[in-house]
Amino acid sequence: MPRTVAPFPKPTIMKGGMRETQAIVERIKRVNRGYQRLELAVDRSLSSLLPGQALLVRRISKDYEAENWHPYLRELWFPVDILASNMLVLEQPAREQFLPGQLLSILGPIGKPLRFRQKLRNLLLIAYETPPTPLLLMLPPLLAQGTSITLVAMGAARDYDCAHLPEEVEIIQANDDHSWQDMVMTVGWADQAFVLVGAGLELTRFAEVMRLIRARRQDVPANTIFGFFQRQLPCGVGACQACMLPIRGAAKLQCLDGPAFDLTQLRLA
Amino acid sequence: MAIEITRPGKTSLIVATPVMPAAGSLGFADEYRNLIDYANLGAVVTNPATIEPWQPAAGARIVPLDAGLLVHTGLPNPGLRALLRQYRRAWRKLPIPVVLHLLGTTPDQAKRAVELLDTVDEVAAVELGLADEIDVAEATALVRAAATIEKPLLVRLPFYECAELALPVADAGADALVMTAAPRGTARDAQGGRLVSGRIYGPLIKPLVLRILGRLRRELPAELPIIGCGGIHSPTDARDYIEAGAAAVQVDTATWAQPKMLERIARDLGGWIATRHADALLDEWHPDMRRGDSQQRRGKG
Repeated sequence: MPRTVAPFPKPTIMKGGMRETQAIVERIKRVNRGYQRLELAVDRSLSSLLPGQALLVRRISKDYEAENWHPYLRELWFPVDILASNMLVLEQPAREQFLPGQLLSILGPIGKPLRFRQKLRNLLLIAYETPPTPLLLMLPPLLAQGTSITLVAMGAARDYDCAHLPEEVEIIQANDDHSWQDMVMTVGWADQAFVLVGAGLELTRFAEVMRLIRARRQDVPANTIFGFFQRQLPCGVGACQACMLPIRGAAKLQCLDGPAFDLTQLRLA
Repeated sequence: MAIEITRPGKTSLIVATPVMPAAGSLGFADEYRNLIDYANLGAVVTNPATIEPWQPAAGARIVPLDAGLLVHTGLPNPGLRALLRQYRRAWRKLPIPVVLHLLGTTPDQAKRAVELLDTVDEVAAVELGLADEIDVAEATALVRAAATIEKPLLVRLPFYECAELALPVADAGADALVMTAAPRGTARDAQGGRLVSGRIYGPLIKPLVLRILGRLRRELPAELPIIGCGGIHSPTDARDYIEAGAAAVQVDTATWAQPKMLERIARDLGGWIATRHADALLDEWHPDMRRGDSQQRRGKG
């Protein structure tokens, strides 16, 4: 079947190395009406995770032989905090049932750390139709270095209760038409922005957000606005190629080169 | 242990253990190097390659199913020449034979591809993937064109046409048959809300393929090896395939959920095949053991 020919990605060499390890749920805390936080005792190699990196998680029984194949795919989890050298905090919907002692099989780390500007003063985070969970790990280190952070919730993201987030983070609930007060200032002042959308229809949603931004900011230079993907990843190592994305100049893989890509380089729908 | 998984001949493919990944599951080379010890596998089968570059599919590529998944990637690959440039060095470093999975499109393309692959030392064998809904005439023409290769030629049969194609394809020059490609199906993508077509993977595929394989094993020439593929998620699954008549097995998406499972199956099956001929227990087997030695020893004990 005929296909448009575009340059193919060079294979990416993964540094640091993904590992398969086990973790155990130590504590569970409800943080708002819809979400709970799990404190996981993990392998020490995972304590050096950086914002943007994720884990592929599978719940397992103590008897590893008695395998249950539902769900079949591993879940993509983004840590929200690192408590100690072997303790990660993850956020999961409250409807998911976990008990202390639950064993997890973990593949990770997945993806590349986010790259922030050296002198980042104003950071804009936009969550559109999805909870902002994958963006939360970056909050403590950036706040500590004095970055001012604005988090805009658009669409279904407004259902996420942000009361437990650090109070230094400015939270904005967008209107139904996706606008918000002082939008020109928020968008114009941002040195860097990360736009997180739900899995499925990402390219359409990124295109919508880019239109909003371009309407309020004349100049959108490269490496300023990043789209943050959270697609389901079957393998996480670049083998299945199910997460290949259309980037100008070359196709890239979310699992190896992502999760964040420059929205000026992405072929948006 | 040396296991011949293609027809006997001067260029047959010999592996140390009859377990390998299925095309499309382990990448083009050593993507799983941090998670799997390739030395424990029999061979590595690459992701599908075509003469010309193919781009990824648009829209949903993965639809989770109950105990399985539907995959529709569009089989992206940079084209055979670019692929050889990118991966030859990695293949050279692998401790096991590399089987390149070639997607059959036209006889002319297949011929061009195998002429090129005959010059590539790093590729030990070629696995020709036949498209779904291909008819017998098209399939045999493709296989005849690809069979001009001097290296062993494995042919992966499509699921629904497997029974109809097996004998003609074997006669056209296949050195081994891979049964089968994952069946195609359609499922609704919960995120996008649309029906998506793609290949179906999961444990439920095994009994379906096992039945076809068992029947065809009886009908096909005994010297033609069959490699079983579909729904293998445990060492027991792999043993079932061997018992049904397969000479080797390919493991597909179970590796994504449990990367170590491929190695576990390889270790188990390698040990089982080595020892069962001598009717020995794993820990008492040695390479020079003959049938009956084990029983004699146990009798003496």
